[in-house]
Amino acid sequence: MIYAELQTTTNYDFLRGASHPGELVLAAKALGHAAIGIADRNTLAGVVRAWSQGKAIGQRVLAGARLVFADGTPEVICYPIDREAWGRLTRLLTVGQRRSRKGECHLLAQDLSAHAEGQLMLVVPPERLESPFESRLRDLARDHPGQVWLLASRGYGARDLKRLARLNALAQRCGAPMVAGNDVLYHGPERRALQDVLTCVREGCTITEAGLRLEANAERHLKASAEMARLFADYPEAVARTAEIADRVTFDLSQLKYEYPREPVPPGKTAIAHLRDLAWAGAAWRYPAAIPEKVGALLNAELALIEELDYPNYFLTVHDIVHWARSQGILCQGRGSAANSVVCFCLGVTSVDPTEPDHDMLFARFISRERDEPPDIDVDFEHERRELVMQYVYERYGRARAAICATVIHYRPRSAIRDVGKALGLTEDVTAALAGTVWGSWGDGLPDEHIRQAGLDPASPDIRRATTLATELLGFPRHLSQHVGGFVLTERRLDETVPIGNGAMKDRTFIEWDKDDIDALGLMKVDVLALGMLTAIKRAMDILGIADMADIPREDPAVYEMLSRADSVGVFQVESRAQMSMLPRMKPNRFYDLVIEVAIVRPGPIQGDMVHPYLRRREGIEKVEFPKPSPEHGPPDELERVLGKTKGVPLFQEQAMRLAIEAAKFTPEEANGLRRAMATFRHYGDVGVYGAKFVEGMTRRGYDPAFAQRCFKQIEGFGSYGFPESHAISFAKLVYVSAWIKCRHPDVFCAALLNSQPMGFYQPAQLVRDAREHGVEVREADVMWSGWDCEIEPDPPSGAGKGFLRLGLRQIRGLRQDEAARLIAARKAGARTLSDLARIADLSRQALEFLAEADAFRSLGLDRRAALWAVKGMAPERRVEADAPLLALMGAPAENAVDLPAMALSAHVAEDYRTTSLSLKAHPCRFFRPLLNELGAVTAVSLRDRRDGARVAVGGLVLIRQRPGTAKGIVFITLEDETGSANVVVWKDVFAANRREAMSAAFLVVHGRMQKAGEVIHVVAERFTDLSGRLGELRTGAPALRASEPRLLKSRDFH
Amino acid sequence: MRRLAAIDGAAAALGLFVGQKAADASALAPGLVTADAEPEADSAALVALADWCCRFSPAVAIDAPDGLVLDITGVAHLWWGEGAMVADLLRRLESNGLTARASVAGNPAAAGALARFAPGPTLVAEGGEAEALAPLPVTALRLEAPVAAQIVRLGLTTIGRLAALPRAALTRRFGAEVVTRLDQALGKSRQALVFRRPPTPWLARLAFAEPISAPEDLARVTADIAALICARLETEGRGAGRFELTFHRLDGKAIPLAIGLAIPGRDPRAIARLFAPMLETVDPGFGIEVVTLAAMAVERRGQSQRRLEQGGEVPVEEGVAPLVDRLVNRLGDEAVWRAEPHPSHAPERAVMRRPALSPSASAGWSRDRPRPLRLFRRPEPIEAMAPIPDDPPVFFRWRGVHHRVRLAEGPERLAEEWWRRPLEDDRPSRVRDYYRVEDESGARFWLFRAGLYGGGDPPKWWLHGLF
Repeated sequence: MIYAELQTTTNYDFLRGASHPGELVLAAKALGHAAIGIADRNTLAGVVRAWSQGKAIGQRVLAGARLVFADGTPEVICYPIDREAWGRLTRLLTVGQRRSRKGECHLLAQDLSAHAEGQLMLVVPPERLESPFESRLRDLARDHPGQVWLLASRGYGARDLKRLARLNALAQRCGAPMVAGNDVLYHGPERRALQDVLTCVREGCTITEAGLRLEANAERHLKASAEMARLFADYPEAVARTAEIADRVTFDLSQLKYEYPREPVPPGKTAIAHLRDLAWAGAAWRYPAAIPEKVGALLNAELALIEELDYPNYFLTVHDIVHWARSQGILCQGRGSAANSVVCFCLGVTSVDPTEPDHDMLFARFISRERDEPPDIDVDFEHERRELVMQYVYERYGRARAAICATVIHYRPRSAIRDVGKALGLTEDVTAALAGTVWGSWGDGLPDEHIRQAGLDPASPDIRRATTLATELLGFPRHLSQHVGGFVLTERRLDETVPIGNGAMKDRTFIEWDKDDIDALGLMKVDVLALGMLTAIKRAMDILGIADMADIPREDPAVYEMLSRADSVGVFQVESRAQMSMLPRMKPNRFYDLVIEVAIVRPGPIQGDMVHPYLRRREGIEKVEFPKPSPEHGPPDELERVLGKTKGVPLFQEQAMRLAIEAAKFTPEEANGLRRAMATFRHYGDVGVYGAKFVEGMTRRGYDPAFAQRCFKQIEGFGSYGFPESHAISFAKLVYVSAWIKCRHPDVFCAALLNSQPMGFYQPAQLVRDAREHGVEVREADVMWSGWDCEIEPDPPSGAGKGFLRLGLRQIRGLRQDEAARLIAARKAGARTLSDLARIADLSRQALEFLAEADAFRSLGLDRRAALWAVKGMAPERRVEADAPLLALMGAPAENAVDLPAMALSAHVAEDYRTTSLSLKAHPCRFFRPLLNELGAVTAVSLRDRRDGARVAVGGLVLIRQRPGTAKGIVFITLEDETGSANVVVWKDVFAANRREAMSAAFLVVHGRMQKAGEVIHVVAERFTDLSGRLGELRTGAPALRASEPRLLKSRDFH
Repeated sequence: MRRLAAIDGAAAALGLFVGQKAADASALAPGLVTADAEPEADSAALVALADWCCRFSPAVAIDAPDGLVLDITGVAHLWWGEGAMVADLLRRLESNGLTARASVAGNPAAAGALARFAPGPTLVAEGGEAEALAPLPVTALRLEAPVAAQIVRLGLTTIGRLAALPRAALTRRFGAEVVTRLDQALGKSRQALVFRRPPTPWLARLAFAEPISAPEDLARVTADIAALICARLETEGRGAGRFELTFHRLDGKAIPLAIGLAIPGRDPRAIARLFAPMLETVDPGFGIEVVTLAAMAVERRGQSQRRLEQGGEVPVEEGVAPLVDRLVNRLGDEAVWRAEPHPSHAPERAVMRRPALSPSASAGWSRDRPRPLRLFRRPEPIEAMAPIPDDPPVFFRWRGVHHRVRLAEGPERLAEEWWRRPLEDDRPSRVRDYYRVEDESGARFWLFRAGLYGGGDPPKWWLHGLF
């Protein structure tokens, strides 16, 4: 007798199921089940994963859901028999989810009856079999004859057999045959402990408090047919029915055939014809003189491939969105495997001309015939206006057909240890200490050494238990969240394919499946993403009157020269400290170097130890050579063809794939599997399996095993951090464009960045400082001169001179844009005094105070203190004045002038930082120079003149702290003093001994040694002097009485 | 988000500060020991401290969250002056482990500001406030934080500078509040304080002109004093859970006796009866001159009058309450209890001892999980014979007696509580299969098999209870 388990809960039934869908399917296969039915509570979130696994190993998987009702209707497990019934099930769940809060599903009995056609319904009996249940079961069986069964399970309760007999009688009375199920919560009994922990997390209690909320035993796992037959020995037909039910289901997820939306294709035209017309029209626009022959040929070839693979609708849809954005003047840039095509360049999806040298990436390589999945294009939009694009998509395709994908939020080490610790009843201190041992969002479990460092004993049973279970919990889905911008668009109603639920944001809906699910099913997705740099570039291009990024002069040597000096503050992607220390070594001098630069300083290549080999080869220290396979196995240059552009070092994901295919002879499918294993849950996936295969494949073909090992290690290092070349090229374009603006128009560049804040790595103070160092004159925000945005003012007003950067009112913390707009209007209307401005602009007292405290009244002859005194004296709230207009003119009766103490320059600087986050008056460190001298600290700029290994001390404000996961516990700190910034390296042991200073000081003197490598200068810290407490002296001139949060600017900390 | 609410000196030395995120603080100082703030407990403690301060002054007001104001007008001379009084107060607080700061001034606001911001205990004579307060920061006026910060930013860093400005200009800019606070501190306007009155203690006292010592006298005064306090409890609609009777002997020695009630009560006769057996232990010495009876754990309690239609019926609890009280007062708290189900799968832990008359907290015993009336403290080993893998036994031998099983139910499979042993020791086969069986004589047993057949160690059989 063959059994099929139809009552299975996966871990996508959050905090209940304790096995991944794949694990359950594998176990069902091993036990020889006819089929396994996946039925999570009111969700279909896990079925695609189960189905994919089933497809891979040949195990039949039924997709269904366990419906839990809010109105007392008994639980029903539903399996749709065909595509139409599937659509009804997804609509039913959509109805339930849409009427409840995010993550919940509120179902009622009438929802089931409205969508019951074609559903096989397995009713789950409640714990107590009372008469209301019987009548509901009878009604259900009567209304849907032949569709209803009564589930019975053997949980090893005291009175199991008695209950079974009762259920059987009940089933016969009601006409709902009894069917066996094991109410599975995990694939094997060893998951009981984890399932108990999940129960505790769900119930918000500890394991000792959980009591009867836990399962009494570990029996709710998948069991073999023979065991099920034994447990149901008196009711063999209940076991036999499982396979019969499974046989009645003809639906399979592969039937969800994708249908493209019709909107982008004009009526009466085929999609490919329309795409052809658009592409050629675009080519004429891109190459106004004449379309180069190469472009024409490529275009024809690409269009032919697109036609063959039937993807024209995809390109048309992307074009439709991009075209609308362009019509609104919203800057965008496509990236992804299909983006670096001539078609996309001509359609305006990207600004990267793929006919330029080194861009010989054949489009065909990325939309390969073998890879039977839709092309992938992500489009970045200006971050401030991305929302408009999203609204357009909703409007154009309707909410019934467009929705955002889900992102599955998984347990990470920190969250896992926190939840497990809490469930096991560890104290908050211990849990926090354990969680604290995991720096960064990803680690490899919890090494004993870290636990010891946190002051805990890794051998203690409590700790052992917590870390073991937390490791097991890693990678479990925790909840669904909304993807940042991945849209799924369909032609038929989307809710007949997948349930749609409410997002946390109002008016946002998202589907239950994530990117991987969409990929696996072959549905179409367009990523509409937000990118701050595009906002900044757009603003700069507007000021400069440039229409398209493609119009910016290419290959300007001055740009490369600037980047080679690591003069890259504010430039897209290459402004980080790691990038900055790479630039002087890379010395990029052409576009493709930027592509490599973008890809190389990433955790993947760093972990894979690819950076140094590449640099050595680039600098000519190491010979570029390509190992060859044995002659009988292939051409000697097969590696050169794959890795030639990157000097034999695999840097891009595409190269890893090609390496696997060419050198290790993976089938395209296997290569794809490897890509997925790397991209998704690398640490817990099956990368290892591929690894063995990879090394074996290369060794068999005559490569040195050590070399093969190294290659795979590099590939593995990519993880999901690996960068596809196609993305790197699109990003490199933005690097070049932003660098060009910075190089040629530093004032415009600075203004554009300031107007696009918050974004990027640096804060306004550093951006302004950098601009000033590049000869830009910057002036304060002022009520009489500033607009809302930072602007370039001609100087003199006639416009003859170079002009200067006037900070905008947006720099003033707290000031609202509408009030600023009224202020500017009042100024234009002729207001010239404080009271006129206040009256005509109808500014609130609060807005005036913000302006005063930001020292924006200087041009009216008032410094911040005088301005604040005057503003505060301007009569109560201005609403009252309407009734007393006389009083309004200058406040109230004349006051005697008051003598306020003059404000010290240092206090002004501190106030500038507080109100505008930067100061043009002076750098705070200037006031501490005597103190810094006393401590032996030299200026940051003078570090250049010190020799390598010299003992130095340097002091400044802490700008940035980084503890990259790749750097083995090293912390990087960037300090800034009045002369410039200094980079500090803190080794692990020094960090451990000076944890507090290294982690929290705002003003710090670092004592250590110089480390110089070419133009890259570091101070290796040995000890610290924390001066944070002294920052208060800027205001008072005296040391602060007690500690508080004495910060001028909050450092940006990355870890 | 958890933030630090208070820190000690060592933490301050590490640079931690109040208001800091707890996570940041722990990251800075690994091993930092934290405890959850209990503002209610703090304010209760402050109230208690206020009551204690009554020894210094009858008028004590609470200056939340961390201050007390004592009106010492006319009492300082009892301590030989204000300075000595402050010193005594601080010394006593310190010996109780409390760190405190104190100052004396002509008004509460000035005294508060000085106590909090002056370097040490400061005594300011009436009229000297302006001078004493001048160097203090404006925050000492306890203004709203944003207002105080803005005043400081105007350069008005001290109370002196602030006070030097024209009132009208200040009021216009910062509202009446600032000037009011300033005036209060300078003694120019009065601040209304709410003085705390300690609650009347639930204490009755009887003093005798002639010392008593005869046992029957002791019994009589016990009844008298119980009637006295119970009358008060009755008038105020309260009952007490504990009574403490103290006999004060002529030689100054006090002999305390205590009883407890399962349900707070105020029946003088019941109370006297509970004390009666203890009276013989009282050694009156040369005689007893005063007796006091204190009622504790006093809580609200309805009128004892029952409605007519209820007739003479008494709720079960009240019916057995006197019995329980007598048993408890004789045998001790530990000896009298009631078994209640406790939510746990482990049979040993599924029973909970609860005070005999406490309200039932659980839903009762489940019918789906039958448990024996008598559960052995330790299961007893038996020999049993049962078909594998998990059928009930056919017969078993317990304490040398052979039982043939006639009826059986089970197994009920209970896995061991994995969290009570090292994780490595937890195996799926560590289960107990329980059976409810009846032998031929009709006796019912609760047996279990520990372990599974084929699961490593051979299973063992045990008897765990009798129905």
